[in-house]
Amino acid sequence: MTTFDVELVDIVKEFESRGSTVRAVDRVSVEIADGEFFALLGPSGCGKTTTLRLIAGFEQPTSGRVLIRGRAMEGIPAYHRPVNTVFQDYALFPHLTVEQNIMFGLQMEGVDKKAARKRANEALEQVRLPGVGARKPHQLSGGQQQRVALARALVKQPAVLLLDEPLGALDLKLRKNMQFELKALQRDVGITFIYVTHDQEEAITMADRIAVMNEGLMLQVGTPKEIYEHPETHFVADFIGETNFIPGMLLERSGDGYGRVKLANGPVIRAQLSHALGSAARAVTVAIRPERIGIAAASASLDSDEDGLTVLEAVLAGSQYIGTDTRYRLALGEGVELVARLQNVSNRDSAAYEVGQPVKVYWGESSATVLDQ
Amino acid sequence: MARLGRRLQQNGFFLALPTIAWLFVFFVLPLVIVLVVSFMSRGRGGVAIMPFTLQHYERAFGVFFIILRRSIGLAGLTTVICLLVGYPLAFFISTRRRRLVRQITLFLVILPFWTNFLIRTYAWRILLGEQGTINGLLLSLGLIDEPITMLNTQFAVLVGLVYGFLPFMVLPIFASVERFNFRYVDAAHDLGANDIRAFLRVVLPLTMPGVLAGCALVFIPSVGAFVTPDLLGGTKGLMIGNLINKQFGGSGNMPLGSALSIVMMAVVMLSLLVYVFSIRRDRGS
Repeated sequence: MTTFDVELVDIVKEFESRGSTVRAVDRVSVEIADGEFFALLGPSGCGKTTTLRLIAGFEQPTSGRVLIRGRAMEGIPAYHRPVNTVFQDYALFPHLTVEQNIMFGLQMEGVDKKAARKRANEALEQVRLPGVGARKPHQLSGGQQQRVALARALVKQPAVLLLDEPLGALDLKLRKNMQFELKALQRDVGITFIYVTHDQEEAITMADRIAVMNEGLMLQVGTPKEIYEHPETHFVADFIGETNFIPGMLLERSGDGYGRVKLANGPVIRAQLSHALGSAARAVTVAIRPERIGIAAASASLDSDEDGLTVLEAVLAGSQYIGTDTRYRLALGEGVELVARLQNVSNRDSAAYEVGQPVKVYWGESSATVLDQ
Repeated sequence: MARLGRRLQQNGFFLALPTIAWLFVFFVLPLVIVLVVSFMSRGRGGVAIMPFTLQHYERAFGVFFIILRRSIGLAGLTTVICLLVGYPLAFFISTRRRRLVRQITLFLVILPFWTNFLIRTYAWRILLGEQGTINGLLLSLGLIDEPITMLNTQFAVLVGLVYGFLPFMVLPIFASVERFNFRYVDAAHDLGANDIRAFLRVVLPLTMPGVLAGCALVFIPSVGAFVTPDLLGGTKGLMIGNLINKQFGGSGNMPLGSALSIVMMAVVMLSLLVYVFSIRRDRGS
């Protein structure tokens, strides 16, 4: 008995391309719970869409197993799987009306025409697009087509809904609205959503859990907070949000999950070790989010190693006013630079420091993470 | 550029004038003459004379109706066979992943055009004859004891027509399938349609313009074909094209030939109308 809706076990998918083998999905294993909003996040070509197509049944894995509701999907064609897909370009049938598009899947199940029509119109109401049933897809706007695609998939009441960059073709404002709506809809219907996106913000704001993929590998799986605050690899830290990377040497590991790192510009700091850090790693990277860095006057009395605070000397190399925040470029010497982002709480904040001025920068030890190089 | 485009649009009529004049003199005018002649009486040597009469139409729908029906039947059968053979072929060609393979197979479809149609039809006489290649092969294999009569039958005409017009079916369907977005098949599968239903409900309707164009391009010339039935059909495979052809010879009957032409044209026009309407319905409101 399993409580997982979708399980991927050691999935590998290879494609033949001009005589060479390309591994699109590389030993991916993940378990997705019933009712979860699960995002597959990564740059284009990372294997996220292929992973989705493997679950849908449009592709067969080279090795490994796909299980849906505990049932192995090997040899089960797409049209017998309890999943439905919202395609990136919607793939609404252009020769059918909106209503016929939504009825299509029901009729394939053998639902009679009258009942199918009734359910199609209910589905249209569910996606807040009533009264367009008689129109052809090309007569609708992009946002409306997106809703129809959603209705067409949801009306089948699948165990899992697969969404392949469903908001990719919409403009920014509409996308923001749809993000809220999709999330609300998912809570209402309680169906497991697997959501492919390359937009990290979309993944963070919508998903219960995110899997970050790159070059076919699933690098890290976790809640948005875990992924953002405790990235385990250089790639994840870089892909999600903005991050400062400082190269350094790992001097020693203490038992509490921290270690001492000698930074490239000289000072030795304490920072949290990533779970994925290689056990023999010496050359490492320290990652710090810009908003976790504080700036103080050079004269301020701040002590390193007290209260778990890291304090370093720096010179303000530049500042950039970006409305809500000000971004500061800070030179730590030896070519090492940090970016700090401070909120403009009062009018004075943005003009508090001048370029060329020596300052102190500081952050809590737990905000700095030691990653493989 | 924009101004030039607008001027071209405004002056489009003048640009088309040579063509319009050409079509009027060599198409509309002759057509009117044929129509008028078809209502005139037969004079000496088959020429048209007064007075007007309906007797040729009576004959066209009377004694010659069997030949008209045969022509439509053979043309219809030719169209159906071309469709059944041509669709899979066009589908195969347009779904090849490598461009070179597509180009070569398409080239092979067009290749017969490089040889004169008459010669190719004569070649079928050699293949289908009593002492022909096919009978010879079947006899030497011991599959039959005496030659099968294939030449000078409707079957031979059908073979010749299908052979001759198949490329006209393949090319428009190829163009249609090539434009088809196979994501729709994924979507159909996703919604629970197996391969057959996905084909019938999605692929076929969306490639229908190519199918209809192909059917029109095969059916229309097939109805009026006269070289193929002349060479392969003998008397049993006589088609309306042969009949019309004869009326304009030495001992012919020009008004009858004209009437038969008009009737044939009406049949073709009717099928064209069906074609246009089914496309309209396909595109929806």
